[in-house]
Amino acid sequence: MSQHDHELERRARDLYLRASRDVDPATAGRLRAARRTALAGPTAHSAARRLLIPAGAFAVVALATLMVWQPLGGPSPAPPAVMQAADGSDPTDLPPDADSTDPSLYKDLQFYSWLAYNDAGSQGRSNK
Amino acid sequence: MEHEDGKTDDAEKAVNGSLALDSASLEELRDVPASMDAFLAAIERRAWRMAEIHLGNRDDALDAVQDAMLRLVRHYGEKPAQEWTPLFWGILRRRIVDLQRRRKVRSIVVGWIGGGQDDDGADLPVWEPADDAPDPSARLQDSQAYGDIVEAVRKLPRRQREAFTFRIMEGLDVAETAAAMGCSDGSVKTHLSRAMHALREHLEAWR
Repeated sequence: MSQHDHELERRARDLYLRASRDVDPATAGRLRAARRTALAGPTAHSAARRLLIPAGAFAVVALATLMVWQPLGGPSPAPPAVMQAADGSDPTDLPPDADSTDPSLYKDLQFYSWLAYNDAGSQGRSNK
Repeated sequence: MEHEDGKTDDAEKAVNGSLALDSASLEELRDVPASMDAFLAAIERRAWRMAEIHLGNRDDALDAVQDAMLRLVRHYGEKPAQEWTPLFWGILRRRIVDLQRRRKVRSIVVGWIGGGQDDDGADLPVWEPADDAPDPSARLQDSQAYGDIVEAVRKLPRRQREAFTFRIMEGLDVAETAAAMGCSDGSVKTHLSRAMHALREHLEAWR
């Protein structure tokens, strides 16, 4: 290494050290405050965040486990007995589709209901 | 001034010691620090200057140093005091690189959203964070010699700049520089040799 290199190194280091010594008071104060903050340890906020992250992860894992164990779209349990048709008709009989049914049917719904009731009654009597 | 315990005294001695630094006494500072407080007090101003050289911004430099202090205390406070020096500079180096990358991304984003060209199609200057903080030590910043060396060092590629600032300016030995840079001793020597070659050309006036 040449003499020039040694001189360059020495001057660079001296200038850097002098610049470090001559840091303005405002920056020196901020550095001191930063040091105190670092030495004071983790704040309550960061401690709370440290607790929240594993808690959140646990909640996600628990939810995923629940979804795998009991999928939301799985087979639903059989309908309770009270849902069975009381009049003994086929429970798969659905009410007529409103879009494809004659609107007059709905106008006279009470009449048809009465008719069906009487029809079922007369069938019951004839069976006896 | 009265203190609650001896730790603050150690820190104050360290600050005073670092204020009286010159090239010769830098070696003495390498003694094992009495406490983490004393260690940080001794190194904080040089760390800020180092970050400022690399980042070119006073506030970013302060953020980097504060973060490096926090990480050292939190993650490596239990390590032997002899290991703090390379650990601290390594943490600071990574923080500086993070900030440089973030700044680069911000420049790209500003370019994407129309900040890259003005109405006439001419390129606008790349976005840089504002640095309007007052600098009472401007006399030093403005001094020709320090300005020259900082300008020349900033022109170096990143790894050469790191090798030069840690090995020559901060005075770490080759092993400590390698630990701080996360590379081998041989790589440090290579980067440093190239840095010296480039600086010799940039600082021709120093002859």
